[in-house]
Amino acid sequence: MSPRLSRILFGTAVLVWSGVMLYFYASGRINKYLAPDFRLLSMLGGLGLGVLGLFNILTSGANTTCGHDHGPGEDHHHDHQSSDLHPLVALVLMLVPIGLSTAWTKDEYSPAALARKGAYDSPSENVFLASALPPLTRESVEQNHIKSPAGYYQFSLMELFFATGDRDYQSVIDGMKIETEGRLIDEKNNNSNGTRRRLYRLFITCCVADSRAIPIIAEFNAPPPDIPENDWVRISGTMTYPKENGELHPVLQVEDISPADPPYEESFLRN
Amino acid sequence: MSPEAQQDFALAFLSILFEGAPFIFLGTLASGFIDVYLPSGTMDRFLPKNRNASIFVAGLLGAVFPVCECAVVPVIRRLVGKGLPVSCALTYMLAAPIVNPITALSTWKAFQGQDAFAMVGSRLLLGYALAVAVGLIAARLPITAILRKKLADSLESSGKPAEQQPGHDHHCGCDHDHHHNHDEKTCCGHDHSHSPTGGEKLVAAFRSAMKDFVDVAVYFSIGVSITALFNTGIAPGAEWLDSLAGSPTGAPAALMILAFVLSLCSTSDAFIAATLDKFSWAAKLAFLTYGPMVDVKLIFLYQTVLRKRFIIMLATGLFLATGVVSFLLT
Repeated sequence: MSPRLSRILFGTAVLVWSGVMLYFYASGRINKYLAPDFRLLSMLGGLGLGVLGLFNILTSGANTTCGHDHGPGEDHHHDHQSSDLHPLVALVLMLVPIGLSTAWTKDEYSPAALARKGAYDSPSENVFLASALPPLTRESVEQNHIKSPAGYYQFSLMELFFATGDRDYQSVIDGMKIETEGRLIDEKNNNSNGTRRRLYRLFITCCVADSRAIPIIAEFNAPPPDIPENDWVRISGTMTYPKENGELHPVLQVEDISPADPPYEESFLRN
Repeated sequence: MSPEAQQDFALAFLSILFEGAPFIFLGTLASGFIDVYLPSGTMDRFLPKNRNASIFVAGLLGAVFPVCECAVVPVIRRLVGKGLPVSCALTYMLAAPIVNPITALSTWKAFQGQDAFAMVGSRLLLGYALAVAVGLIAARLPITAILRKKLADSLESSGKPAEQQPGHDHHCGCDHDHHHNHDEKTCCGHDHSHSPTGGEKLVAAFRSAMKDFVDVAVYFSIGVSITALFNTGIAPGAEWLDSLAGSPTGAPAALMILAFVLSLCSTSDAFIAATLDKFSWAAKLAFLTYGPMVDVKLIFLYQTVLRKRFIIMLATGLFLATGVVSFLLT
């Protein structure tokens, strides 16, 4: 393959990467993939790659030098432009995974992957983020948590979840009327009556690949309403932390449930 | 692959790619411009005359000349040919991909919320210490035990640092081979004085940057694909890998082998390591230290400079040393 054609092909591959990154940023879909401070970097990287690819395509025919000195024993005909791999192989390896991924993605995990991300783990296995929460007292609940007209305090799933492993937190929240929101999925554990479903949100550190699910159990004490898997809901009820099979579990005794719009930031963020 | 597995793979793949690609771009742009704009003798001038001191300084040169591991091998090949002591070149080759600002920045970003400063500090420190240790050992070995026979022979036959030889230090401005023999008194028969213009240099720098980006992006793409398969539980060995996560010896060993296989760029490997949430901090440190020094692609690249036996000893020694440090930190 001629060096010029090779440059044009590589430049095109770089432009494809650039285009995918810029498209996801411009469409807002990047929010489902990256924490906020990485989104701008991704956009700048996409722009930079666009310049790199375009510049190399436009100057693909230019004659130039490698621009530096060559010593003895060094191969003088290196051109600093040809890849270690055959250009077509390199092209396939660069473009096929990103192309397939762009076609396959639905911007969210399947239930099987969610299970792997901890959606069904017990809170005791998932305490690595508990230190991120500030101390909680009855007074701080009154000050920092909005109370709905129906008398429910608004809590994030994170607080309800981590209270399971924190006695102080638990003593404040246990028995409290609360309101929270998240995505509803089937409950697979301790659900012989079929009256439970699970409510979760993802916690992202940097990107969705490093995310962890933050779940609680929603107990309906009756057949749960027919809400599609993974839909966003707002639930009100009484928060409890019963011991089941020797472990504490965060269980929300549901009194009211309604569909909700996805929040702007669907995941919890480290900041 | 089922539609659900495709969906999971795609989400994980794209998220890691979006996160890491800007840092690869930054790293390869820097290495492309260094390749073209940095005069060949610049690095020698930074090194002290004392052999041991020069090894310690060589381990820090990545802070000034930041290159990733793919770009550093051609650079040290050229520098060794020009008379840079092999021990210094080895130290720089192993340390530069880790002890450089781009890697430090990407590691810090990737480990936000996971003791980022501690990870950056320990990664730089361990990478530097291991590279200097290799340099100090290499300084006590005969050159023929380290370098490929052809390269060692060319240095030994010169009998002095190659940069002192006249007639070899010319700008290569032509598009043809320079396979010709020339001694001190004869010219090789063509004009060596054609210096590139500013525009030509810029084009060369961008071409070099694109070449580096494509080389790294190919391995990154493969690495991210494998990581996405493990991350979402699609890969057959995912459960087995997870089962090693709690072992103080198995976890670092498994992650070093994973780093070896994935062949990730040091400017972006932290984004992979940060997703391995079942593994300990020390095991991730082993992943981040061993990978930039020894991996599948580097084994091939090292063979352009080093003897095969030395490469095997280097890979084994670094594996054991990194594993021991990780075990002690667990």
